[in-house]
Amino acid sequence: MSISLTLVLQLIVNGLVVGGLLGLVALGLALIFGVIRVVNFAHGEFITLGAYLTWLIAGGLGLSPFIGIPVAFLFGALVGWVVQVLFIGRVMERPPLDSLMMTYSLSILGLGLFSFFFGGDFRSYSAGPNGDLRLAGVTVGLRSLSVLIVCVALGALVIMLLRSGRLGLAFRALAQNRDAAASCGINIRATERLAFSLAVGLAAVAGALISLIGTTTPGVGDDWLLEGFVVVVIGGMGSIPGALAGALLIGLLQSILGYALDDSWAKIITYLLLYLTLLTRPQGLLGSAMEM
Amino acid sequence: MALTRLNPAMLAATLVVGGLAAALPLMGASRYQLVLVYYFAYYLALGQAWNLMSGMTGYVSFAHGALAGIGAYATVMAMNAGVPMWLSIPIGAAVAGVSSLVIGATSLRLRGIAFTFATLFFQALALLIVRKLPAAGGAGGLPLQDILPVWLPQLFMILLAVLSTILVMVVRASRTGTRLLAIKGDEAAALSLGIASARLKLLFFCISAVLAGLAGAFHGLFTASLYPDVVFSFDMSITALAVPLIGGVATAFGPAAGAILFVGVGELLDIFAPGLHNVVIGALLVAVVLFMPLGLVPFTVGRMRDRRKDARSPAASGEYAR
Repeated sequence: MSISLTLVLQLIVNGLVVGGLLGLVALGLALIFGVIRVVNFAHGEFITLGAYLTWLIAGGLGLSPFIGIPVAFLFGALVGWVVQVLFIGRVMERPPLDSLMMTYSLSILGLGLFSFFFGGDFRSYSAGPNGDLRLAGVTVGLRSLSVLIVCVALGALVIMLLRSGRLGLAFRALAQNRDAAASCGINIRATERLAFSLAVGLAAVAGALISLIGTTTPGVGDDWLLEGFVVVVIGGMGSIPGALAGALLIGLLQSILGYALDDSWAKIITYLLLYLTLLTRPQGLLGSAMEM
Repeated sequence: MALTRLNPAMLAATLVVGGLAAALPLMGASRYQLVLVYYFAYYLALGQAWNLMSGMTGYVSFAHGALAGIGAYATVMAMNAGVPMWLSIPIGAAVAGVSSLVIGATSLRLRGIAFTFATLFFQALALLIVRKLPAAGGAGGLPLQDILPVWLPQLFMILLAVLSTILVMVVRASRTGTRLLAIKGDEAAALSLGIASARLKLLFFCISAVLAGLAGAFHGLFTASLYPDVVFSFDMSITALAVPLIGGVATAFGPAAGAILFVGVGELLDIFAPGLHNVVIGALLVAVVLFMPLGLVPFTVGRMRDRRKDARSPAASGEYAR
């Protein structure tokens, strides 16, 4: 195995694509955990939702899969709003066990629905960009490149929204202190619904992008969710900079280990990192408060 | 002082039902009926194993299916290596118990969600690693070489279901059970009262894993062939938590109701709507969490008590919250 510069560059590019997708997933998880104090075990189902939506648009209707991205975001945000109103918002005042069981039950329900409607087949489509871009010996598929661009652009947009603007301020206020936020006149319920809705929209976009570079199955979202959990635990639950740094780290690690060993070993080692973090630095690499 | 007393009538009822179930083959029950009873016992044993840890302490485990799978693999591998069955089964249970310490040692010192994450990843890791292990048959699976009479694992499983139900009953009626429930209620307060919560959680997770390992070992003997994708699928871990959650968490008889429901729903769905299993279980769980968070049995008992109170004085009807 000769390690050349082009190989290193190639692995970095591949890692950035995975890291970008994990970043969108982890951003949503951190937002939900920070603002609503719920670990969303159903997040994977929202990824799968975006992936199937885009598959229906690109594979079924033959349209460009890029149409799937805004459609997935809007539909995901709508579904997220409804789920927060109907299910999660109703158990939030109860002990934390109830909200945990609620998101987990929703994930079983969602997985069941996807398996029932779409079967276990591997879905992919040929619409959209095909072919490669070669630059300095590094080959990047046009699909991977578009994924990376969308992830970076969307991620930057969301972080700008969180850093400035009234909504970002409301999110941060809730993450810091709910009671104080409420007494300042922030509408807690609406803010929580918006946070969940935005996070689910991001997950659905991640799903739309995943359908572009991979295959879609009922369990595709859950695979990504596991890695998303590793990312948020390593980054510190609820920390947005931590989530982004963790996503980059895990993306690169997956790319390098996947090349040096194989994908299963890459997963095994990634998952073991979670135990290592819990043992040595349970608050994550970048603290536990919600910082933005 | 314990919160509840051990009810001798309930204890006797459990033993009688268990004895009847064990005697079914002698009473000329059909093979189909025996299989239904077997699965009832399997779900009940697994559900009680989960109940003993997660139900009592509130620390949710997503790994009980994997712990059972490890018990199954260890037992079948030992038997295939020529170890007699009476020794292989304790080996399987012990391996499951030791595996639980790996999860527990890394995460039970912490409060909150860390334990649940550790179990979630344990489940995923178990599948990935067993698929990589040639000694465990890899991705292709592992057959049991001995041929056992079917009644033997059935009898074992019924014994385990009875034993684990009685264990939950005894723990609930003990001071230790009160301590566990105190951890669930408010761990900081429990600690301040001198309850050694980390040690108790670890101990009960280990006992719970040994029970799950035994259930897995007996199920391995029953099916006589192990496929990693089946043994380590998330479905068994879902079953382990759904059975007590639907029936009644931290109660001795809730899981029995949950297991009956599970077997019944499974059979009906096989006839009318195969493929909808997870949809129905997921919807049931959502409904239970929303409308009767204590589970079916305590909810029904509470309703009946309410009605009796209503008959005496309408004002006395209270709300049965947790």
